[in-house]
Amino acid sequence: MATNGSVIGDLYRDIHEVPSETQLELLPMVENGLDSTNSCPTNVPEGTGNSTDANDERDYSNLALKILNSKPQYYPPLNFSLVEDGIYRSGFPMPLNYPFIEQLGLKTIIYLGDLGLEKVSKKDEKAKKEKKEKKDKGDYKEESDKPKKDKLGTTEILKGYKEWIATTSIELHHLPMESSQEPFVQTQTQAQDSLTHALQLMLDKNNFPMLIHSNKGKHRIGVLVGLMRKLLQGWCLSGIFEEYEKFALGKSEYDLECIEIWQPELVVDLNSKPDFVRL
Amino acid sequence: MSVTVSDHDSKKNLKIISQPPTLRIIPPLNFCPVEKHLYRSGQPSIINQSFLQDLNLKTIIWLASEEPQEDFLDYCSSNNIDIEFVGMMNDYNYQSVNPWDALTEGTIKKALELILNKENHPLLVCCGMGRHRTGTVIGCLRRLQGWNLASVSEEYRRFTGARGGRILVELLIESFDLGLVEVNSEMIPEWLKN
Repeated sequence: MATNGSVIGDLYRDIHEVPSETQLELLPMVENGLDSTNSCPTNVPEGTGNSTDANDERDYSNLALKILNSKPQYYPPLNFSLVEDGIYRSGFPMPLNYPFIEQLGLKTIIYLGDLGLEKVSKKDEKAKKEKKEKKDKGDYKEESDKPKKDKLGTTEILKGYKEWIATTSIELHHLPMESSQEPFVQTQTQAQDSLTHALQLMLDKNNFPMLIHSNKGKHRIGVLVGLMRKLLQGWCLSGIFEEYEKFALGKSEYDLECIEIWQPELVVDLNSKPDFVRL
Repeated sequence: MSVTVSDHDSKKNLKIISQPPTLRIIPPLNFCPVEKHLYRSGQPSIINQSFLQDLNLKTIIWLASEEPQEDFLDYCSSNNIDIEFVGMMNDYNYQSVNPWDALTEGTIKKALELILNKENHPLLVCCGMGRHRTGTVIGCLRRLQGWNLASVSEEYRRFTGARGGRILVELLIESFDLGLVEVNSEMIPEWLKN
């Protein structure tokens, strides 16, 4: 447990490290409120605290944080950011975020993701095979078409989302794409089709304002934005990687390689080319 | 290389993109668009000039307490960009000039008032690294836009690098009195309608 404590201590220092002078200047409570003989008050055993009783009558109310206009009006979705004028990025919008999204006046939403799409993993295929074998033997009861258990309520979320979009004038493009695993394996053809489609939509400013989102707004959208920066704007790769990392926070799998290597063929109509596109 | 495609529909002017632009542009450290015609970054250097050129900047808000580099100042003057030294206007007494000192209420107010005047756009907000001072001003702007504090904080920390956010910056954002900001309602940018 002792080692645990120090790890947490290190983390705390890492996150909240500020020069000590600043701290004292802005938080005079730390300086004035403590008995000068106890340089480290957390180590004072219980019971000896009586020595500070004399200070209890001090008025600290002037040191309290006064919060003004505190009620937020909007809750932007996770990892929300402007990409370029007319294109926003984010994670999956939840009902809490709808009022915020409504005031953006969006025309188009591109959802890159697998929510609501059946996954064909090896496990599923194996299960299917077994079911088939059972069926052939005749001891299989008809229940295969029952929907699978939806632990996270994802179908419900997607359904609610689509219902909300139907109440707006936003056009939703749901492009299937699984989270990246390995490059250039077969499942990636689907991802490549979806990415190409998304980039084509982003090349037409008639679709703006537009929101592009995935589930968390980290990896899939990071790849899409990275490709846009490279292909349409000609950013250097190091700048693209810096931006990718801001949202992905460490876990990138093969996303950066995909941004670096992959080259689709795109067509742009110069009459509706967005201003940020460099040719 | 892009090739013009012959098309029967004369209204369309199609071009194939099969390669990234040959000339690559280099964004400044911690660069990000904030709103239309409003950007944030760390101190631009000479290698970022072709990138900055495309932004057509009219104004730069310099939030650091030190002077920016000479070539950056040269770049601004040769491109007629107004540079506002907001971070240096504090009435510091020289014993306590510390680059890590937080911005004051006055400097945040001044920066926000410049941002909220669309005559100054396109505008870049920057400081040395584009982390804490820039983050403070953008954070207060987000509060002014009615964002919830958790989202403001998420955005601030996105730009603070491996050492993370400073709690004092977040306190400053949380406690900044939005009522101090005075703007000319005719000059408010379109993205701040409320």
